[in-house]
Amino acid sequence: MRNDVVVLIGKQFFKKTFYTKGLFVLLTLFLMVLSYVTINGWNAYEKRHHIAEHHQNQSRESWENNPDKHPHRMAHFGTFAFREQHPLSIFDSGIETYIGNSIYLEAHKQNTANFSEASLSTGLVRFGDLNIALLLQLILPLVIFFIGYASITSEKEHGILKIIYLQGASMQQILLGKALGLFLVSTLFFIPALIALWSISFIESHTLNSGVVMRSLLITASYVLFFIVLCFVTVIVSARSVSSNKALLSLLGGWLLFFIIIPKTAQVIGNSVYPNLSKIEFKAAIEAEVAKQGDSHDPNDPHFNKLRDSVLKANNVTDVKDLPFNYSGFLMSKGEEQTAIIYGNQHKKLINTYKKQNSITNSLVVLNPYLAIKNISMGLSGTDFHTYTNFLSQTETYRYEQSQYMNDLQMKFISNKAKGSEGKIHVVDKSYWRSAPKFSYEYLPISKTINHQIVAFFALIFWLLLAIITMTKFSNRFKFI
Amino acid sequence: MYTLLIKHFFRSKTVWLAFGILMVLGMLSISTGKQFLSQQQTSINKTIEQQQKHLERQRSFHKEDIGLLSYYLKFSFLNPVQPLAGISIGQSDLNSHIQNVSIVALEGQKHNTDLVNPMRLQVGNLDVSFLIIFLFPLVIIALNFNLLSEEKEKGTWKMITIQAKSSFSYLLAKLSVRFVFVCLVLGLLLLVAKVVLGIPFTSDFSAIIIMSYLYTLFWFALCFFVILLRKSSNTNAIVLLASWLLLVVFLPVLVSNYITNKYPIDEAFTMVIKQRDAYHQKWDTDKKETMERFYEHYPHLRKYGFKTEGFSWLWYFAMQQLGDDDSKEERAAMYNKVKQREELSRKIAQFFPPLQLQLSMNDIAKTSLTNHIDFLHATNTFHEKIRLDLYPKIFEEHHPDTVNFEKHKPEFFKPESNFSLFKNMLSILIISFILIGFGIFRNLKYFS
Repeated sequence: MRNDVVVLIGKQFFKKTFYTKGLFVLLTLFLMVLSYVTINGWNAYEKRHHIAEHHQNQSRESWENNPDKHPHRMAHFGTFAFREQHPLSIFDSGIETYIGNSIYLEAHKQNTANFSEASLSTGLVRFGDLNIALLLQLILPLVIFFIGYASITSEKEHGILKIIYLQGASMQQILLGKALGLFLVSTLFFIPALIALWSISFIESHTLNSGVVMRSLLITASYVLFFIVLCFVTVIVSARSVSSNKALLSLLGGWLLFFIIIPKTAQVIGNSVYPNLSKIEFKAAIEAEVAKQGDSHDPNDPHFNKLRDSVLKANNVTDVKDLPFNYSGFLMSKGEEQTAIIYGNQHKKLINTYKKQNSITNSLVVLNPYLAIKNISMGLSGTDFHTYTNFLSQTETYRYEQSQYMNDLQMKFISNKAKGSEGKIHVVDKSYWRSAPKFSYEYLPISKTINHQIVAFFALIFWLLLAIITMTKFSNRFKFI
Repeated sequence: MYTLLIKHFFRSKTVWLAFGILMVLGMLSISTGKQFLSQQQTSINKTIEQQQKHLERQRSFHKEDIGLLSYYLKFSFLNPVQPLAGISIGQSDLNSHIQNVSIVALEGQKHNTDLVNPMRLQVGNLDVSFLIIFLFPLVIIALNFNLLSEEKEKGTWKMITIQAKSSFSYLLAKLSVRFVFVCLVLGLLLLVAKVVLGIPFTSDFSAIIIMSYLYTLFWFALCFFVILLRKSSNTNAIVLLASWLLLVVFLPVLVSNYITNKYPIDEAFTMVIKQRDAYHQKWDTDKKETMERFYEHYPHLRKYGFKTEGFSWLWYFAMQQLGDDDSKEERAAMYNKVKQREELSRKIAQFFPPLQLQLSMNDIAKTSLTNHIDFLHATNTFHEKIRLDLYPKIFEEHHPDTVNFEKHKPEFFKPESNFSLFKNMLSILIISFILIGFGIFRNLKYFS
């Protein structure tokens, strides 16, 4: 195969398209919107980052300002974790809008993450989120379809295709050339978007552990792959269509089906096939399990009474008051341990149900390149489902450690004579509040994300191969007239 | 002439394809709504059932101490879902319909969310409102974009101008066939939804019907306008699709983003920190002062005096109360921001029918943000009622067995409607008539 012919056809398509007035208008509009979205998104990110940081500090400050206190009072004073966003959420906000931004971490109680952006927004929020990824995932494909739908059909309609053939170009070369040209045109649109991505990653690269450069590299590669696939598909559809009208109609129908209807339907079906427990059922399930194993809040619970007797025996005393450590602190630490495990199990079940709900969408990535790029982009931008569940489990770990820290202090320093946590007698020095660890959020490591999205990566490569094979091996199926 | 037009209309493959897609997705959307309603109903039933169990269990744990028992007891307040919510799920899957609160400080409890898969929330619901807002316009465009241009391109238009009495009324006849078809499909969809979801025929339902039909009218008006620009089929298709993309996909996202960024609600965070600190700091401050402030809020409880020695439930619940009282300002600031978001949304939406229809449907179906905020406010009243009933009993140290906790059964919130059908009809009608008017005006010379 002579490659220069392919390049020639590609160049010619690019030049022809580049000098049309429509493209110029479209490109200007696209770039204007892109700049607006980037600047706006960046400002919003900075603002949100500042808000979260400010409140995190404020909350910590009032934690540290507590006077000498009974440690159990501090266990209930609790900590707030305000969710930090990944810098790349400017590029793709994924599920950001729909997940809680603040979570209250206190003893014996696992609270939900509250105040998601969407929960405080009007119905308009459900139309979608504005970010660079929206432009690349939904709008740019339409632009490519519009530019490329007639790439072959118009040549056919004007009889030019025959002439090119007679001059010695094969169908294969024409198709590849047109796809190359179309891809060149699309670079005019997506390279500025990727520049925006890279400027985010360079300027925000100081954010610790965010792995921002590696993420940007993978995002870039995936999008380039995605757009190559789209350009190939567009040219193939154009070549298989009888007329330009039909080609446009098929492409638009495909867009509607693959980009809007299938994703929505898949998630709806996932949720109806694998319904998850409502909160009331979830809580009831935990309560039932606690009741079965023994409830540390129940003064006559056999499980915890047995525990008490064995502790008394081990320490050779007959009354908890004579124990060398604070017994109620000990009891609470055992209770915390038990409920944390029970909660953890139920929560894991819930997350697994969510995963099953998502599994229909996730298995469709093989058939739908849009879903593949959506998942990859979200995952690498640190705004996907796994990042969120990871955040939740980090907060729960912290909550557990904080409670046990306080229980340990109670066991160590509080006398068994103390009747409650009130007053200034049975207290622990306030320096311990300062030395309690702060909550620090770690982004989900990039290797985990790659693991989660490996199928999606392969799906894109599979589509590329499929498109190339269709073009080169079956080029005799495309007709010149 | 009409029989021929109808015959011709139904011979087109596009019509059957559009009809088929709408029916399949229609059924899917109605069953989504049905499932949502039944899930909510199950939760409500479970809540009612659970409250009784919960009460018995806690009573068995804390047989002697009414203060401790009251601390643990939770009472449910429910926001019922109307059958109409099955048509427009709106924001009701984001915010919990069930409040399960104890008489301690309320602010730390009432913003707790339900357990919903965030992926589902992000992808959005495929409910009837989505179908009407998103897909009906596309069908209308597909049926109409080449109404005139096709005749011209095929060369049949000249025949019509010669043979028909008025080429304009011929065009109107063609358009009306399509309008009637779309109206029938929409009617069928709403009828099936009514039957399946068990929607009673109320003024609310008719408001949804009216708004939906006006919305289709708007899209017909837009098509009519574009058709009469007398461009080629290709241009028409591109212009109409671009308007669809702009009105249904791009502008709503832009507007919503603008509103979110214009009014960031960081007050929510300030509020939660404040209510935590306000309550917890009272453990270390003067007890008398705490109780004094509590009595300032509820003067009729002053008779219980000041218990400053050691721990007392009076002091404890006074502290909890002050957690709510002291965060009032921050709370007001938060609700104020929410209100600003709502107002701006409505203001902008009246110029864009898709936004307006979405907000209207949510308002009518009581699935809007406003409804949720009203529910939160009503939770305060519900909570205070129980507080005020239990406070004297706790302070007088009644024995738990003598107190009737059972009378605080799960209660239902009664939402109020603040939807003005007339106002919402007006703006969509004005926009439609402007489009139709312009279309006719530009073509006066052709249709004499």
